[in-house]
Order: sequence, then C-alpha cells, then structure tokens
Amino acid sequence: MTDKRRTELEQLISRTALGDREAFDALYAATSAKLHAVVLSILKDRPEAEETLQDVYVRIWQGASRYAVNGLSPMTWLITIARNRAIDRLRARASRPATAPAEAASTVAATTPSPETATIHAQERRMLDECLSQLADAQAGAVRAVYLEGASYADLAAREGKPINTVRSWLRRSLLRLKDCVGQ
Amino acid sequence: MTEDTPLSDTETDEALAAELALGLLDGAEAEEAVARLSTDPAFAGQVREWQERLAGLAEGLTPVMAPARARQYIRERLGHAESPLASDPAEGTPWWRGPIGVIGGFFAAAAIAFVLFSPEDRTTPPSQPGYRAELAAEDGAMAVEAILRGREMRIAMQSGAPDEGRDWEVWWLAEGADPVSLGVLPREGDMTMMLPEGLEPSSDARIALSDEPEGGSPTGQATGPVIAVAELTDM
Repeated sequence: MTDKRRTELEQLISRTALGDREAFDALYAATSAKLHAVVLSILKDRPEAEETLQDVYVRIWQGASRYAVNGLSPMTWLITIARNRAIDRLRARASRPATAPAEAASTVAATTPSPETATIHAQERRMLDECLSQLADAQAGAVRAVYLEGASYADLAAREGKPINTVRSWLRRSLLRLKDCVGQ
Repeated sequence: MTEDTPLSDTETDEALAAELALGLLDGAEAEEAVARLSTDPAFAGQVREWQERLAGLAEGLTPVMAPARARQYIRERLGHAESPLASDPAEGTPWWRGPIGVIGGFFAAAAIAFVLFSPEDRTTPPSQPGYRAELAAEDGAMAVEAILRGREMRIAMQSGAPDEGRDWEVWWLAEGADPVSLGVLPREGDMTMMLPEGLEPSSDARIALSDEPEGGSPTGQATGPVIAVAELTDM
C-alpha cells in the first residue's frame, strides 16, 4: 500500500468517526471488494458473506472513532474487523464456542506509531510471501488455512490426522519461524 | 530451535500473541489472553504486530464486488437512508393525486412540452468516454450487453438465462491482473454498479461471464465454465 493510499484511508476513517456519511461511502467504495473477498474466503458462502460484510461496515461506522488510537495501519484495521467477524460466523455455524475476539487488541491504545513503524510494516509484507515459501509446504498451507479460511486447531488436526496438541506445537513453531524470517 | 526443545517464555508469549491474532484460542485460555491485552501493553503490541504481519495474506486476495443491495442495507441499518419502499403507499393520498398535484401536473406537462418543442437542442448530455461489450454464447443461446459510462456500468440480460440453481457471474479481466468479480447477474432485468477502485476502463479490458452455483462462486474465483468473453469497445 502506498503512503498516499494509506493517508487517504486514514482521512476517510477519521471523517467517518466524525459522522461524515460521504466519507463512509467513499471508504466503502474503496475497500468493500477487498473485505468482501476476506469474508468470502473464510465463509465460502455468498449470502452469508454478504450479510457479514454488512455487519463489518456497521462496526466500522461505530468503531471508527477508536481507530486513531490503536496504531494499526488502516487496511490492517479493516481486514482485522472483517476477518474476526467472519470467523465468529464460521465458529457459530459449527456451534463451537466462539473464540476470543482478537479485535480487542485493536481497541487497546498503542504508543504513538512512528513513520518508521509504517515502513517496517511495508517491508514485512513484501517478505511475507518469500518467507512462507521457505516453510515446508504443509506448514505454509496451515498458516494460510488458518488466516484465509479460518481453520481451527481441530480442523488442522483432522486434516493432518494428528492430535491437536501436536498440531498446535507444530504451528506455533512455524509461526515463530515466519516471524524471524519476516523480521530479518 | 528444534522440534524437541520446549519454547522459551519469550517464545511462548510470542506464539500466544500470534494465536490470539489468528483467532485460534478458545475457552479460558482465550479469556485470559484477551484480559491481558488491557494490562500488558507489550503483549497487546505483539498481537498488533501479528495482525500487521499477516494482513499481507488478505491483501493478496482477489477483490470481489458485493452486490449493490449490500450497501443499501448498510445505509438502512445505520439509519442513513430510507429503503425505497419504507413509506407505506396506502397511507394517505400522495400529493400528486390531490388538487395541488393537478396544478403541479399541468405545469410539469407545460415544462416538458417546452423542452420537447423548444427549437434549440437542449438534450445533448455532456459526453463521457463510453465503452460497450456484447457478450454472447457461441451457440447464440444467450446475449448480455454491458455499457460503461465514466465509471458506471450497466449490464443487461438480453436473452437466455442460467439453469435452475445456477447463476451467471460477471468478471473484469485486465492485462496482467487476476479477474475481479463484479457480482452476480440478476436473473431478470439489469444491474448498475460503480467500478471498484483499481479497475480502469480501457479498450484493453475485457468482461467475462461464468456459470456458477446459485449466489455466485463460493470462493471468489471463477469455478464454473466461462460462457462468454468480450472486449470493451469505444462507443
């Protein structure tokens, strides 16, 4: 994401926080196709994804005033809301107890984000694909399935034919390896 | 770090932050981790770092346009707009049927007559670059027309219809980019949409229709056979 686009989205979110409907419409136009793709990737059902997308934008409208203090880049904040909402729907569908709303993390005030932080994030994104390709196929596949399809440990265990604890310790190590690689 | 050595405390914390960001925790463990967010800023920071780090995966997804009605529903839920049928048509007499309506109607008719019969040509709209695509199946079983003016696109079904339990999905194809779904074609009539950001009208772009399960491709990528592809041509 270019700095210009980042600034534009930040401005639209700030104006939305002030109740500016035009800015909210513009934010929707600029980001809804991407967020729809995120919820669709997790839910794999068009009508449910459409309904979830509506929930997501209602939350964005209501939560925009908390954006400024959470220190996330605008697109990450939007994607996180979309992803968490879709995962809640997915878990509710399987009538499993809902997982923790990781969204809570985005409501915690951050120390002032610096321009350097933004640059580091941009570099990390470029590294992400490269680093995933350095993991074993099964590990990279598991990370993608968890993030993009909302797979749970139980799903991974069923897929790999291994106990949940084994899968968990294996995925944790993959994630740590990914972080080390991306941060280099 | 080998597969056998247990994780250090620092590593365990880092892994927990990742799991929380990913939504992998549940039960008491999840509650504890969420509670920790408000008391442990360093941990909250780690969770945010994971959200940033992994968002790149979502940014790589092919955008999928949501149907226009989704936006209308959001407006209604937030009280930003009344639905088109929000007022009860049976309630009271609409103004145009009352006595004022008759007078208003007279002036409206006069105004229309004036425009219609006025010697000057007042009807030329400001010209906007326009494109057109004519999508037709090889066997002639279906035809769909897409007209693009500025960034507004209208797609109309002219003949044919998808099979029962199937829908036709509209795709935007641009050189060197993944196809972008513009939504599912209504079974009757037409649809109008604004092109999403990142799609630029040009004669290099093409429109395609694919045959998908009802409601559209469940994955956001075309799954069914492509039934027609057409280039945008200047109007």
